[in-house]
Amino acid sequence: MAPRVVVVGLASDFGCQVQITNIEDHLLEMLGVIDLGYWQLASSGHMPAEYDIAVVEGAVTTVEHIELLKRLRETASVVMTIGTCAHTGGIPALANRCDLDAAYSAVYGEGSDVARGRCAPEPVHSVIDVDYQVPGCPIDMDEFLAVLSKALQGLADPLPGDPMCAVCKTKENVCLLDRGEICLGLVTRTGCGAKCPSLGRPCTGCRGLAPDANFDAARKVLASKGFDPNELDRRFDLYNAVREGVR
Amino acid sequence: MSIITVEHVARIEGHGTIHVELEGSTVKDVHMEIVEPARFFEPMVVGRKFDEVSLVTSRICGICSPNHAVTSLKAIEDALGIQVSERTKLLRKLLVYGSYLQNHATHLYIFSAPDFLGLPSVFPLAETHPDVLERALKIKKAGNELCTLVGGRPVHPVTAVVGGFTHEPGADELEAFRDRLLALVDDAVVTAQLFDSFDVPEFSSSCEMLALADDEEYAVYDGNTAALEAGWNRPVQEYRAFIDEQVVGHSNAKHSTSDGRSFMTGAIARVNLSSKQLMPRAAQALASLSTGAVGKNTFLNNVCQAIELIDACERCAVYCDRLITEGGTSAPVEYEVKAGFGVGATEAPRGTVYHSYTLDDDGFVVSGDVITPTAQNLGNLDADMRAFAPTVAGLPHDEFILQVEELVRAYDLCLSCSVH
Repeated sequence: MAPRVVVVGLASDFGCQVQITNIEDHLLEMLGVIDLGYWQLASSGHMPAEYDIAVVEGAVTTVEHIELLKRLRETASVVMTIGTCAHTGGIPALANRCDLDAAYSAVYGEGSDVARGRCAPEPVHSVIDVDYQVPGCPIDMDEFLAVLSKALQGLADPLPGDPMCAVCKTKENVCLLDRGEICLGLVTRTGCGAKCPSLGRPCTGCRGLAPDANFDAARKVLASKGFDPNELDRRFDLYNAVREGVR
Repeated sequence: MSIITVEHVARIEGHGTIHVELEGSTVKDVHMEIVEPARFFEPMVVGRKFDEVSLVTSRICGICSPNHAVTSLKAIEDALGIQVSERTKLLRKLLVYGSYLQNHATHLYIFSAPDFLGLPSVFPLAETHPDVLERALKIKKAGNELCTLVGGRPVHPVTAVVGGFTHEPGADELEAFRDRLLALVDDAVVTAQLFDSFDVPEFSSSCEMLALADDEEYAVYDGNTAALEAGWNRPVQEYRAFIDEQVVGHSNAKHSTSDGRSFMTGAIARVNLSSKQLMPRAAQALASLSTGAVGKNTFLNNVCQAIELIDACERCAVYCDRLITEGGTSAPVEYEVKAGFGVGATEAPRGTVYHSYTLDDDGFVVSGDVITPTAQNLGNLDADMRAFAPTVAGLPHDEFILQVEELVRAYDLCLSCSVH
């Protein structure tokens, strides 16, 4: 019997689920090997009681999210996260840099009673164990299919550990630091094929911190190119506001 | 009194619940609860540098990310006094239209069509109507690939930056895409015919309609905001003076009014305000609709999106040609970082989106404000549901709910946008 897959969204822009619908060429083939048990974005119907693989998009920002994740972990044999929000907290985690009470007042006015039940944003792996991760904002469709097929076969899929610069060099790109732009490829996890620098745009760190990255050395590189070294930390916060143990 | 709730309405972007209170077959109350949690993009953007803003605000929405990116770039450029090249504008319009092709095809075929075909989702079409599903995916794919051609990927464009583009497609790629768009016009026409063939209730909203309007062309990038009934036309820089936002108890998203009235923005507003500027095949399709003029039947927002698919294919083919023949550059223009306030607006697939930012001397954001199309439309959706639900309250329960859901889906809501 085809493994039953459910796709659920927490706090996100749905961009990674949209990317799944963007697998036009392979969407139907994919549906041939899995039983898509629940996908709120694309279909009416309720979450089934039993499923094998839970695909989770989005950061954890409410108490309901935490309860849902615990239920998913108890039921599914495999939990797979997609996208930066789920992986690092992503853009939603920037709210950790704000005073949430002040934010409520700024958006809804003083003493407003809407939008409660919110907690400090976290990545999914802070709440439950995660078996597979597809990083990136948004996910790359081919990478998603590759990781899903490994999950279906029970194969290991360790995330690459080296920084993006290593791959960017092999693309023969002119280093953006030398063109006067702050690029975060020095410390960001590879796996995207250096997509942004290859299109002339500096890396913004959406795939999270490379475990092999040397932040101190990267700051020195920035300083040597005439930049404020603290800009590395400030800019890296964009998708990585909840990271720990970096400094 | 019985209360019906449809939790987590399917086939819309985001989490929302329809709430209906019935007394016998009399509708006492009906509204849409937005349970999507607040996301705080406006406070989050404070303290970010001007060149990071589009990266953050593009993440308001995975479906119309090119629009949020382009709109925030326009606002930042307005604040810094930057004029971009004509070529940059053409490329940005292609990004906007790429999102129209992608969004409208997704909304029409994947979200809405199952209602009219009596299906829970689009997937059974693979068995019963493979040609329909194939057409849907073909148009959607063209939209994605147009965004990829210009922006580097379908969701969250890479190449669009303050002042221009970091990379642009080659002439051969543009030429190939132009031919593909021209070949797609017929698929878009068939889409309009298909949606015109679906029965929709006779209904007329009591709303105002707002959209960008421009003397030059069908407005999606430039232009002023125009009001269909009140007849005014005002610069987008004044948006705070003609759109009022209110916090309502049942929704994490705010509601909007203009001159005290709820209003609709989106394809139906654009078609009403700019129908004379549609490209030839789109204009022809509009003229041959079985319903005649679209007027204010909000259910016809679907068919208006289909008309816009035709227009987008014809128009983008022209833009590709212009990019091939006209020359010029889209490389980011030189600019000076300084303090200022700026507003940007574009027509996203679902309606006008406004962004504004205040920058300090070093280009850091001091305050930001975004009004999304869905936040503008939600108040009007509630008003439409209150007017429409009583007219179908006598139907069997499931049918009643389906009709109300059809109205909701005709709005092409994006609830995660609405709680930005």
